[in-house]
Amino acid sequence: MSVALIALSILWLGLIAYAVLGGADFGAGIWNLFAVGPQAKRQIQLINRALGPVWEANHVWLIFLIVGLFSVFPSAFAILSIALFIPLTIALIGIVMRGSAFIFRTYAIDTTAPTTTWWSRVFSTASLVTPFFLGAAAAAVASGKIEATNGNVQADLGAAWTTPFALTIGAMAISLCATIAAVYLCVEAHNDHDETLAEMYRLRALIAGAITAVLGALGLLLSPSEAPILWQGLLTRALPVVIATMLIGLATAAALFYRRYSLARILIILETAFLLGSWGLSQYPYIIPPHVTIENAANDPNVIVILLISIGIGMVLILPALYYLFSVFKLPTPAPGLEKKEEHTASEVPQEKSL
Amino acid sequence: MPDLLAARAQMGTSLAFHIIFSALGVGLPLLLCIAEGLALFRKDKTWMMLARRWARAAAILFAIGAVSGTILSFELGLLWPTYIKFAGAVVGLPFALEGFAFFLEAIFLGLYLYGWDRLSPRAHWLCSFPIWISGLASAWFIVSANSWMNTPAGFVIKNGKVVDINPIQAMLNPSTPYETIHMILACYVATGFGVAAVYAFGMLRGKRDDYYRKGLMLALVMGVIAIPLQIISGDANARFLVDAQPAKLAAMEGVFKTQQGAPLEIGGLADPSTGKVIYALEIPRGLSILATFNPNSTIKGLDAFAPADRPNPLPVHSSFDGMVASGFFVLFIALLFWFLYFLKKRTVPTNRLLLLGIVLSGPLSFLAIELGWMVTEFGRQPWVIYGYLRTKDAVTTAPWLNISFLIFTLIYVLLAVALTRLLLGVARSPLPKVEMPGNTQQSERAGV
Repeated sequence: MSVALIALSILWLGLIAYAVLGGADFGAGIWNLFAVGPQAKRQIQLINRALGPVWEANHVWLIFLIVGLFSVFPSAFAILSIALFIPLTIALIGIVMRGSAFIFRTYAIDTTAPTTTWWSRVFSTASLVTPFFLGAAAAAVASGKIEATNGNVQADLGAAWTTPFALTIGAMAISLCATIAAVYLCVEAHNDHDETLAEMYRLRALIAGAITAVLGALGLLLSPSEAPILWQGLLTRALPVVIATMLIGLATAAALFYRRYSLARILIILETAFLLGSWGLSQYPYIIPPHVTIENAANDPNVIVILLISIGIGMVLILPALYYLFSVFKLPTPAPGLEKKEEHTASEVPQEKSL
Repeated sequence: MPDLLAARAQMGTSLAFHIIFSALGVGLPLLLCIAEGLALFRKDKTWMMLARRWARAAAILFAIGAVSGTILSFELGLLWPTYIKFAGAVVGLPFALEGFAFFLEAIFLGLYLYGWDRLSPRAHWLCSFPIWISGLASAWFIVSANSWMNTPAGFVIKNGKVVDINPIQAMLNPSTPYETIHMILACYVATGFGVAAVYAFGMLRGKRDDYYRKGLMLALVMGVIAIPLQIISGDANARFLVDAQPAKLAAMEGVFKTQQGAPLEIGGLADPSTGKVIYALEIPRGLSILATFNPNSTIKGLDAFAPADRPNPLPVHSSFDGMVASGFFVLFIALLFWFLYFLKKRTVPTNRLLLLGIVLSGPLSFLAIELGWMVTEFGRQPWVIYGYLRTKDAVTTAPWLNISFLIFTLIYVLLAVALTRLLLGVARSPLPKVEMPGNTQQSERAGV
């Protein structure tokens, strides 16, 4: 196994992490759009609480991917940047507007001001736009329509990322993010003993999950003609993973149906991991089919080894910290350093509850 | 606008916007850590109020910093694919390490900002350490990547291919110690005086209570410790350029002709069409003395370089003088502050002129950062990787760069307006309600 392949596998794990964490943040933004009616305020509060402590850390997985890609496969990164200039620029605008709009609406002094409502809408719209264009860009790569002979590539004004296949995968990215977020929000509402909201998000998770399945099936149907290299891989190397993805999808739906929310959360994470895993396996050994492979795009192996060592050291620091973050805000496991009621000195220090 | 100019304009705007937040991202967490530490160990409510208030501002500022930083990491590829193909291969390591530092910062920021009620006071305070340490590390890593663009190292070009790559050597290139220290100190100066300016402004409007004194004092301590070091570091940087990047030095100082005993041109406009610095204050042999300690030394002028290899001295010289002038003004204010502080037996001086000077020092120290970046970026032109890749060869072939520039400019304007409104709202919102008996006594020993 070459060092480039090891590095690519780690990047792919990073992609999965971004999908199940960052993707859920986009999904929560999408559900923000549906937060209307008598329970709107509670829904928005739930979304704010769910996103607040973690969205910046979740977002860093994207930076990890970008930096990892241009350090390990510099030429592939350059090709993607030129060929997918338009969808990536739009996704970037979405990412920027999502993050800042979330902050502007959450930290607004007056939560009922028209500007706050406007930022809330920007937050939702950006959360919808970003996964669509990231999904379409990914589909453009998988379809093998980015022609890069000898590293020369033309900016693509829409040939590869506006095909029916790319549009389907873009839409599927939206519904997948929405499904993941609905499952997480369901767990969080359940943990807050808000069963009305838990039920609401359970139903939404089931609907969004069904839509994802339909779009996934449509994507598969389109693959033989639109993404032949991917289709070949799906039928051969990746077939067990594809079947597992389908079964886990069904199991997620069953867990939701029987209100086993924590199990559903684990299953939807697995589902996303297997889905992205099947894509990766199918287009192996290509990074950008049909010309750019792991072999011909990889940086100097010595450089990759040093990068791998630094990623190893980085992960030793990051993963426990990340676990601590999630155990304080998201997991039922007791974390050290939590406020203990009997010995706290909070009465001596001012409390600003509005935060 | 030609594509190259549009791409440069977009990159420049993005950097100019992001750098404000990255400077605060390095400086503010240290202020938070110190203020909360003082609150815990001295059981002092005022410090805790300051930490709380700064944390609220930090939450907003850091989020904007995170998204504007994301724009830059995309733009490296979207605008400069040829550059990133080269740089990614050689100097990807500091970018990756910066990514990890940013990761740690984001994780502990989440814990810090949302953990006030969940974590014990001590655990909460401990969470502030990884934030300022990784902020510092981020700045070092990312500036070392920029240093590499100025003094490329750690690779060999053979038959047009980049080979024998040594990423550690690339990261520790000759410019790294000079540039990284200069930028990190700049972050502390700007944050210190930026925050101090807010409290000095409040004091000018008649607010003289403990909260304002302490806010002013702590921020100023950071600024006044950093500024003299910064002047020394700046001097070392300029001297380093004599051999490392003589074209940049020539543009900075407005030296058109290679000459012995070069004069120092202070101010004025370095006009490339006439080859003269007009309206400048000229100190004979000044530059030779400053750069080499020898009044007769030879300083390379722009004429030592082919016309296609010369940076435009007009923006470089003016930015350089603006940066130096801002730096010395801030240094003067810092010295004045200490003089009055000890003259008045260790009480915070509230002289109106001094407070006005501090208010001015805030924006000026951020201006100095912006101008400093213009010096280093314009001064490296026409190269993006000095001596190896020209900016015009690095730009993307993608279309519609003008539209992209327009859209991103509008986004920055929108973000700036919304952010300013929000921060003003935070500043005007009432302080957390706490009964503060004995507050007047506390203000007597407000000195840190």
